[in-house]
Amino acid sequence: MCAASVIPGTTLGATRRIRSISGAATGQLARQRPAQPVALTEAEAIPLAQAGNAAAFEFLYQLHGRRVYALCLRMMGNPADAEDLMQEAFLQLFRKIGTFRGESAFSTWLHRMTVNVVLMRLRKKSLPTDSLEETLEPDAENSGPKRDVGAPDLRLSGAVDRVNLERSIEKLPPGYRTVFVLHDVQGYEHNEIADIMGCSVGNSKSQLHKARTRLRELLQEEIRQQARDERKAAKTPSGSLE
Amino acid sequence: MQCKELESVLETQGLEQLSQDARLHLGTCGACQGLVADLDSIVAAAKSLPAEVEPPARIWISLRAQLEAEGLIKGPVEVSDRSSWWESVSAWLKPRTFAMATAAALVLAAAVYVTRLPHNSPSGVAKNQPAVERPRPAQPQVKASAPPPSTSPVNVPTKGPTPSKQKQLSPSPSESASFTLNQAELDVPNMQLAGNSQVDAALRQNLRTLNAFIAECEMHLKQNPQDELAREYLNTAYQQKADLLAAMMESGRGDN
Repeated sequence: MCAASVIPGTTLGATRRIRSISGAATGQLARQRPAQPVALTEAEAIPLAQAGNAAAFEFLYQLHGRRVYALCLRMMGNPADAEDLMQEAFLQLFRKIGTFRGESAFSTWLHRMTVNVVLMRLRKKSLPTDSLEETLEPDAENSGPKRDVGAPDLRLSGAVDRVNLERSIEKLPPGYRTVFVLHDVQGYEHNEIADIMGCSVGNSKSQLHKARTRLRELLQEEIRQQARDERKAAKTPSGSLE
Repeated sequence: MQCKELESVLETQGLEQLSQDARLHLGTCGACQGLVADLDSIVAAAKSLPAEVEPPARIWISLRAQLEAEGLIKGPVEVSDRSSWWESVSAWLKPRTFAMATAAALVLAAAVYVTRLPHNSPSGVAKNQPAVERPRPAQPQVKASAPPPSTSPVNVPTKGPTPSKQKQLSPSPSESASFTLNQAELDVPNMQLAGNSQVDAALRQNLRTLNAFIAECEMHLKQNPQDELAREYLNTAYQQKADLLAAMMESGRGDN
C-alpha cells in the first residue's frame, strides 16, 4: 500500500520511497492502527533512534504519540497531567531505547512504560478509595464489584452515551481503568495487556470483567442521579429562583 | 448453571465465548440477561471512544529540547550507514574525497589555531557596538564528540589596541576560516548522492543549522567584537562545520 506524501517536518523521507507502515509496525496490536503515510518503518527507525538520530526519535513519537496521549488523557482525566505524563513516558522510552532488543513489540514496550508512569503518578496522588494493590489482585474477594444477583437491574440499553461513559471511567480504580481503556477503548488483546501490565492473561480478563461490571454500577448510579435531578427540576415551579 | 456460575464464566471467558450451559441459563434468567446486555452496551460505547487523540505540538518541542539537553540526540554522523570498514577505506582513497578531506582537515587546523589566538585583533567591522544580548543558541546537532561551547566568563577584558584603532589590511583568521569553509562547501553540491538518504538528509539539515548558527555568531561579533564567549561559540561552530563537511565528503554526498 503506497501513499503520496511524507511526514511533514521530518527530514527522513526526502528521497526514500514512501510506503505505509500499517501492518509493519507491530502486527496485531491495535484495533485502530494508525495508517499514516510514512517515510520508513518502525523497524528501521528503532536502530536509528538507538544511534541518537533526531528524525528517528520524531518518527517514533509521531507514530505512537496519539495513542499514548489518548491513554494518558483517559487515565488522568485532564490534559495538563496527560501532557506531563506523555512527555515523561517518551523521555523514559528514549533514555532506554538502547536496551530495546525487540523481545516484545515496541508498542507494548512503550505502553508498559506509559502505564507505569501513569500508575506511579496516581499512586502519588493516593486516591482515597481504592488501593492499586487491591484492584490488581484478582483473587481478593472484596476487590470485585458488588452485584446483587437476581436483583432487578436498571437496564443501560440506549443510556450509555460517551459523556456518561467517560465520566464513569474516571471514577474507576486505576487498575480497572487501565485494563478497560487498553482493551475496550484501544483494542489491545489480553496477552498484550498482560505483557504491558506485568500480570497473567487470566488476571487481565478478570480485571476487565470487574471493570465493566463496576462501570455498569457507576452508569446506573449516574442514570439514577439524572432521574432524581429531573424530578427535582420538575417539582420546582417555573420562574422561581432557588 | 446458577447466576454466580455465569458471572464466573463471564470473568474467565469474556462476553464473546459463552458456553452452551451459559446460553441456556441466559435464556431463563432475566437478571443475567440484563447484565450481559448492559455489558454489551458498555463495550459498544467504549469502542466509539477515540483510541487516538492528537497531542499538542508543544509536547514534542519540549521533549526534543530535553533530549538534546541530555545528549540523547546525537549527530547523524554517528548513525551507522551499514557500510563495511573496507568500503569506508576505499571511499577515503578516492582522489576527490581525499583532497576534500585534506582541505577540511586544514580548515579544522585553522579553526583550532584561531581558537587559541588572543582576540585583540579586531574583526574589522565593529564601528558601532550597540548593547545587544549575546547569542546563546542551542548547539547544532553535529557530532557527539564535538566539544561543547565553553561557559567561560563573560566580557573578558582584552589587551592591546581597540578595534577602532586598527586598520584592516588583511582578513582576520576567523574570516579566513570562514572563507575556506565556504569554499569547501561550494564543492559539496556537486557530489553524487548515494546510499542512505536519511543520513544524507540529516547531514544537510545539520549543515543548514550550523550555517544559521555561524551567521548569527558572525552578526553578533560584528556588533560586539570583544565578546569572547560569542567568538568561542563561533570557533567551535567552525570546527563542527569542518567535521561535518569532512563527514559529508567521506560519505560522498553533499548539500543541495
